[in-house]
Amino acid sequence: MNNLKQQLKRHWGLWLTLLVVLVGLVGVGLTRLDAPWYQQTVASVTKVQANQHNQTTDEFNNTDVSYSQWVTVRILNHHHQGQTYRLKNTYTKSGAMDQAYRVGDQVFVRIPKDKASAVTIQGLKRDTALAFVAWLALALLLLIMRFSGLMALLSVTLNAVLFYAAIQIDLMTNGGHLYTLFGSLAVIFAVLTLWLVLGVSRQMLVTLGATITGTGIAVIISLIVFAATKERGVTYEAMQYVTQVPRPLFLVETVLGSLGAVMDESTDIVASLFQLRQERPDISANQVFKSGLQIGRSIMGPLINVLFLIFMADTFAMTLLYLRNGNNWGYTFSMNMSLGMVQSLISGIGIVLAIPVASWLASRLMPRKVGAA
Amino acid sequence: MSTISVLGIVLFILMTLIGGKTGVTAFLSLIFNFGLLFLAVVLISWGFPAMGVSLVIGTIILAFTIFFGEDNEMAAKTAYIAALIVMVALILVIFPVEHWIMAQGFSLEDSEDLEGMSLTIGVSFVGVAVTEAILSTLGAIAEASIAIAAGLSEIIDQHPHVSASRLYIDGISIGKQIIGTTFNTLFFGFFGGFLALFIWFSGLHYSFGSVINNKIFVAEVLMVLFSLIGVILTVPITTWVMTLEHRHATKQED
Repeated sequence: MNNLKQQLKRHWGLWLTLLVVLVGLVGVGLTRLDAPWYQQTVASVTKVQANQHNQTTDEFNNTDVSYSQWVTVRILNHHHQGQTYRLKNTYTKSGAMDQAYRVGDQVFVRIPKDKASAVTIQGLKRDTALAFVAWLALALLLLIMRFSGLMALLSVTLNAVLFYAAIQIDLMTNGGHLYTLFGSLAVIFAVLTLWLVLGVSRQMLVTLGATITGTGIAVIISLIVFAATKERGVTYEAMQYVTQVPRPLFLVETVLGSLGAVMDESTDIVASLFQLRQERPDISANQVFKSGLQIGRSIMGPLINVLFLIFMADTFAMTLLYLRNGNNWGYTFSMNMSLGMVQSLISGIGIVLAIPVASWLASRLMPRKVGAA
Repeated sequence: MSTISVLGIVLFILMTLIGGKTGVTAFLSLIFNFGLLFLAVVLISWGFPAMGVSLVIGTIILAFTIFFGEDNEMAAKTAYIAALIVMVALILVIFPVEHWIMAQGFSLEDSEDLEGMSLTIGVSFVGVAVTEAILSTLGAIAEASIAIAAGLSEIIDQHPHVSASRLYIDGISIGKQIIGTTFNTLFFGFFGGFLALFIWFSGLHYSFGSVINNKIFVAEVLMVLFSLIGVILTVPITTWVMTLEHRHATKQED
């Protein structure tokens, strides 16, 4: 009996993890049944019949194939529930804005009030697939990190809530106070995230100082460069999904985008330096500073590449479309990739500057005896 | 001079001042990676299959990022092998998911940018979505595998006869710290960049249901999740490769 209790105690973490993972998987399955919760009409594809296809050629000699199919759907919610419709779907082989539907897909449909107009498919219901990938990520996180992974998750959730709140405030003020709003948000993000990771300590304050100073100087340098070069080649007009003045939006996006990376790096450097002081209490401030640079040196390259690849990969589809529509490389680059490039460069400057700032702050502000405190 | 070149020069000077030789090579890897990314788009636009292009370009990008950033040869080699294994594992996840979720190409929100463009270009946009997803995860994978391999090779240097199981525990504990902070890099990197889109969603009163099924939103969240899965997988795989290398090295010594 005692033995069993001990066994349970030793393995409760594992069992709890497995339980959470299994419950999560059931939750993913349940999204197949969530149609009643949607305002939109949801239907399930029960039968698909290929109709005809023909080759198309556009003005740039791109050949494509356009298909049409008959799709039979059964409505899953609201007052048309249970009824079936047969409708025509046309799609292309490349599928830039359309797609083929398959039996078992759940889709959003629009049923017009007057009987004469046709029922149309609005788009695929993607929540099950999305939930599955989210479940996969969380399950792996819990299995490998157990419950210390939850702390990271908590910080991301809190940040997402703050982000949402800031957007609501921004909309209420019509984007009038964008800099103040998102500037303070960036500081709050940094304080909250570092507080959750490090608790309130001198180490946290040093990391916070390095993050804010590094990012701040990078912004100032960039603004000076912007002014000196009169922002030549920065194509704000190519920014996507813009509903407010693009320039401030772009700068705010850049600062927020690099914030996580600068925090990541400052955390690493400051933590290693505090540990170094603990191991060798008599080390001089200058040596601490030098070790900080040494650590930062090996982190900065990969970290800048992380952001660079994230910023650039997004632009792929549009870049491809530009190239296939007869635009030359230069124009295609400036309309699609130049903003991501500017973003990467400013972030890179922030990441590099945070190294000496973090090392210097740590070397001056570290207490003489970390272990004694 | 254009803003991009001046910012580039500033970054180069700073990296050289602070990073010395490592800084210069890191800057070079950035330029090579840009060239490779652009090459990837051009190759796909010439009709090469997206899957093959992402495999080849991905392998080269990982090599540039890892070998240009890390001086320790054993750590770099381990990191590279591990990163390649993770990339292949991720492709096995990304490929079926992208074909299931169909979040490729463009959405109604893009209409204004697409005016006057021909969309029937004969290139599979699902393939392009796979390429985007794979390439966007490579940076995070490379960073994590370097950090773990470097940490472990330092442990091996100090305790040459460390046991494989001990090494595994150390690898996971280094990984825990890395995952925590990398979470932030990814979260801010992706969502900071999509502020405009979220303002659009909120401003036009999209319902929660339409946001989580929206093509662009789904594509974006998928990239974050794939990167996260990549980083999480990197931890045990890098540690495993390191223990194999270590066992191999000690055997040769005997």
